[in-house]
Amino acid sequence: MVYDFIVVGSGSGGGSLAYYLNKSGAKVLLLEAGKFYRKNTFPRTEAETSADLYWGGGIEFAKDGKMGFLRTKMVGGSSIVYQCLMDRFDDNAFDAWKDESGVDWFSNATMNEHYNQVESDMALHTFTEKEWNRNAKLFIDGCDKNGYKWANLRRGQSDCALENGNDCIGCLGGCIRDSKQSSLVAFIQKAEKEGLEIQADTEIHKVEPGNETCKIHGMQNGNKVSYEAKKVILSGGAFGTTRMMYMSGFKKKLPALGKKFSSHPQFMWIGFQNEPVDAHKLAFQTVASKDPEFRKKGFKLENVFAPPISLAMLINITGSKHQDYMKKYRYMQCIEVAVRDENVGEIISDKNGKLTISKPLTDQDKERKTNGLQAIKNILLSSGANEVFESNFYFGLHLMGGCVMGTDPSKSVVNPEFNVHGEKTLYITDSSIYPNAPGINPGLTIKALSHKLSTQLIKG
Amino acid sequence: MNHFSNRAITGITKVGDIYCPKNGEFPAFSEAAGTQYLNNLVSNVPEDDFSSLNLVLIIFSFLPAFILKWLIGVFERSMDNPGDSILPSLLRQLNLGLRGLCYSVYYSEFSNPEYKGRTPLQIIDYHLNRVELEPVKSEATFV
Repeated sequence: MVYDFIVVGSGSGGGSLAYYLNKSGAKVLLLEAGKFYRKNTFPRTEAETSADLYWGGGIEFAKDGKMGFLRTKMVGGSSIVYQCLMDRFDDNAFDAWKDESGVDWFSNATMNEHYNQVESDMALHTFTEKEWNRNAKLFIDGCDKNGYKWANLRRGQSDCALENGNDCIGCLGGCIRDSKQSSLVAFIQKAEKEGLEIQADTEIHKVEPGNETCKIHGMQNGNKVSYEAKKVILSGGAFGTTRMMYMSGFKKKLPALGKKFSSHPQFMWIGFQNEPVDAHKLAFQTVASKDPEFRKKGFKLENVFAPPISLAMLINITGSKHQDYMKKYRYMQCIEVAVRDENVGEIISDKNGKLTISKPLTDQDKERKTNGLQAIKNILLSSGANEVFESNFYFGLHLMGGCVMGTDPSKSVVNPEFNVHGEKTLYITDSSIYPNAPGINPGLTIKALSHKLSTQLIKG
Repeated sequence: MNHFSNRAITGITKVGDIYCPKNGEFPAFSEAAGTQYLNNLVSNVPEDDFSSLNLVLIIFSFLPAFILKWLIGVFERSMDNPGDSILPSLLRQLNLGLRGLCYSVYYSEFSNPEYKGRTPLQIIDYHLNRVELEPVKSEATFV
């Protein structure tokens, strides 16, 4: 059988693309390497969430062992576990992409209609004061005392039952209410009802684009499988798509494959208050910095927290001192800085798909980190923290680049039409095509770019 | 299928008692952690990484506690080592991997069924309120 379209990967990019293509009446197959969980089958413990939903069994590391990467493996991809914060890019982000790639349509003027369409297909909610938990209130208090500007976050969610006491930190393992507007909820389940064919547990290892069709090969539940479509669109994320391209032998033809990797390195520091903060209760992430100076300096701050195992990982000491800190779990106030990093990282895969990630922090990254952490410390101390724990562990959730878009085939992997350079039947849409780090949550723009590609593919 | 050997479980228990010792209300790792659940938590770890980890833990099982404690101190200090060479890189990854394993069965619902005292989660007073939309299916545990 020859499908019209096969989409490989079901995260923010793939899930939304499959939805729009399926809606057009095309014969679409959506493939996903991970399992198919639903609201009533997501793991209910943090330990199982890490072990079952993430590649590598929890966390993958850069080759220097300094930075951890979190990458999920299930239908819906990372949108299942992320916070579903829905921010549009500003002109600064698109201008930086245009400069890096030579792609002239990177602009809000072009992307507005795609943002509008994607937003209209999701339930969006901007938090208000009544939803702030104490961690948020302390963040705001500290920002105000230091003259830092902040704003309520906009999130994809429909009904989180906060008024009934639901603690949303649990949805870091998948939303149990189908409230969070993950790719699964906002797009895939809707498309499923309209006939979209979805095959989970299917890992693609080889892509063979031809002039008329594209063939792909992989394993499904231990059995070899092959598929064919008029057009194949890879959407496995920065690591997944780059890996498939490597395993298919594209590195010789496209030397930029794997290059320009960035990841918004994130550092979380903890302040200890005298009264319980209960940062894990109710809506655990509702506000963030919105300070033009921070934007200029290349970082942003978010009011965040983590469940116990992840929190224990941040406290990089051992033994009884570690336990003494953990005993103050309910008294912890937490803030994170995300750095708009330079795209000097690299993703490399061997022929068997084993990944090696290089992600050094440049001098500029380190300066941005230092400035951000100083701002965190200012907020924590001025909002009443009696001690600040300065964790040295950092991680990346926004994995970007590796198959970047651009006009020059020697410096990019896909052209401005999302086509892999020189291949008429193979496309990519996900964060791997990001030319550099926007310094803004990438999720909404991934979906908007997928919508742009869908309109192009549907027109033929 | 990844599966820790019995000797490796002995190794992780000894390491766990260094990361999470008996301390006031806190039970020792060897008392409270559900090491029998560890195999359930490593199914997605790449096989070659798992084999290396299993081997390291077997070696640890034969080491005296004071040497292990010194080694873990070396692992911890590797986190602040700016070097990118192979040894500190491996030590950092091993350190984070071991901590992840230990904390996953200590600060979690996966406690030792034979342990009857207050669990570490109870001691830190962690409780999540989940307002379910519909009945949970059996794959999701510890509701």
